Amino acid sequence: MKILTLVRQVPDAEARVKISGGQVDLEGATLVMDGMDEYGVEEALRLREGGAAVEEIVALATGPKRVEDALRTALAMGVDRAIHVETDQALDPIALSRVVAQVAQAEGVSLILVGGQEADWDSQALGAATAERLGWPQLTWTNELALEGDTLTGRHDVDDGNESFRVPLPAVVTTQQGLNEPRYPTLPNIMKAKKKELRKDTLDAYGAAPTVRVVGSDIQTRARLNKMIDGKDPQAAAAELLDLLRNEAKVIA
Amino acid sequence: MIDEFAVFDLLSPDEKLIRESVRAFAEAELLPHVAEWWDAGTLPVRDVMRRFGAMGLLGPTTPEAYGGAGTSYSAYGAMMYELERVDSGLRSAASVQGSLVMFPIHEYGSEEQKRRYLPGLASGELVGCFGLTEPDGGSDPGAMRTRARRDGSEYVLSGSKMWITNSPAADLAVVWAKNEEGVIRGFIVPTDAPGFRAPEIGRKMSLRASVTGEIVLEDCRIPAGNLLPGSGGLKSPLSCLTSARFGIAWGAMGALEAVLRAALDYAGSRTTFGKPIAGRQLVQDKLVRMATDHSAGLLLAWRLGTLKDAGRMNYAQVSLAKRNNVRVALTGARLAREVLGGNGITTEYPVIRHMLNLETVDTYEGTHDIHTLIVGRHLTGVGALE
Repeated sequence: MKILTLVRQVPDAEARVKISGGQVDLEGATLVMDGMDEYGVEEALRLREGGAAVEEIVALATGPKRVEDALRTALAMGVDRAIHVETDQALDPIALSRVVAQVAQAEGVSLILVGGQEADWDSQALGAATAERLGWPQLTWTNELALEGDTLTGRHDVDDGNESFRVPLPAVVTTQQGLNEPRYPTLPNIMKAKKKELRKDTLDAYGAAPTVRVVGSDIQTRARLNKMIDGKDPQAAAAELLDLLRNEAKVIA
Repeated sequence: MIDEFAVFDLLSPDEKLIRESVRAFAEAELLPHVAEWWDAGTLPVRDVMRRFGAMGLLGPTTPEAYGGAGTSYSAYGAMMYELERVDSGLRSAASVQGSLVMFPIHEYGSEEQKRRYLPGLASGELVGCFGLTEPDGGSDPGAMRTRARRDGSEYVLSGSKMWITNSPAADLAVVWAKNEEGVIRGFIVPTDAPGFRAPEIGRKMSLRASVTGEIVLEDCRIPAGNLLPGSGGLKSPLSCLTSARFGIAWGAMGALEAVLRAALDYAGSRTTFGKPIAGRQLVQDKLVRMATDHSAGLLLAWRLGTLKDAGRMNYAQVSLAKRNNVRVALTGARLAREVLGGNGITTEYPVIRHMLNLETVDTYEGTHDIHTLIVGRHLTGVGALE
């Protein structure tokens, strides 16, 4: 069997993002593989290392040229080959699912791993949309996976407990924190990854056009008013505080 | 991360990935423990070396056939930067194994020696050390007293070596000794050979997260086949030092980033007279000096890497870069210590640890003054060294 794992490139959690022209400006920001997708790559590798009959693990990414770096990371972690659908167009999750589903069919994969959510656009829709297009079952927010032949078993944690499941392949699985601890690419594997295939593809072939467009972005700012209340007269100070909370901040009635 | 001139963008994609991966590894696996190791004055050498080996940090430029990764020297430098950002002692452990043990075995060893030792050294299953410096002075290695005498199918070594990183924990030592003709040769000495001892050096106030010892050779007998056949003359051990110094030129900038980051964070949150000290001119002066030295030093290290990878690097360039980068890192660490005030003297913060470590780095692998004289001789053609 083959596994397809989707890789998205997002700003590093520590990166300071800027907004310019209503868009997130990534110039100068450190970009990394989305942590949620890293769980997917790691899990694919672990399923194979755990003895499952995994013939090949393929990583897929869409986006501009720089997205190659995230695919190189996946290759260095141990993925066998990568496909880069190169485009400067930002795809919404429904459009992206069209690409993922077609690649899955063309490659003949029977398991798709995608992040349960996305660090840059938290739609949580990609897994579901891909499963819908393919008519495959989807298992969301998984915390544990195992493969026995063509049967996938696993668990997902909910607030006060967990559920275990069993499903025949093919299936779409979404990941979450706690699924595994992703490995660091080792130096020898980084060097070996240079010889692995990174195939370029164009978006035209997939007929995937986004319908949702981002028209504005803002960064939440929490400016402090720095209002100081004179505390010489405690009663007057308390009265002023109440007045401010009630009439200015409007947090009490 | 601090990289004002986007120097790391100049690396190739795989070199960039190596740096990022080593940084992630160092932050998760080394940084949480290093202050504890340093305070205790020890390092779990075997455990750390195996973890380094699993990541491929031991002799990464060694070809794959011998267990290495076959990386460029620029990648090796970037890796050293990230290790020394954590602690100079950890970078020292990787320097010694890669540049001072694996390098001479690869460069001067027989095919059999390479196959026997390099894979184990690369994986960290074997720990090596390097014996050149003697108690009477490290700056004049040509005056060494250690002798090797051929006795049938064995060599008999006698003498002593000083300031040897990892000697008390090592499985083997690459020892440099003069033969009966007075020629310096390299020998692979198993540490369980009869007549070999490696007492630990204690009471260090620097490189405390690193194990340091002596090597005492009392008629130490080793098989004649342990001679490194390609070694001959002082240039053999000096070529190892050139390789290690290359890594130090990069590593020192990692230490400088660490102390600059600590100083920036501290200055931004410490308030005196109603505002953060980061808004004081005297503090900004220190921070700007550190950032300037970091940018210039990192550019120097990067250029050294491209020259080395192109086969165009010379020893004077290495001396210049090691001399400059370590001294500016040490100066920067002292400035950072000052910015942190009283908090700068406790190991609750990384600054004093780096500052004290860098005192060693300024001295070992060719002292600051020796490098001045090497570069001086290169520039003028007139030696002031001998």
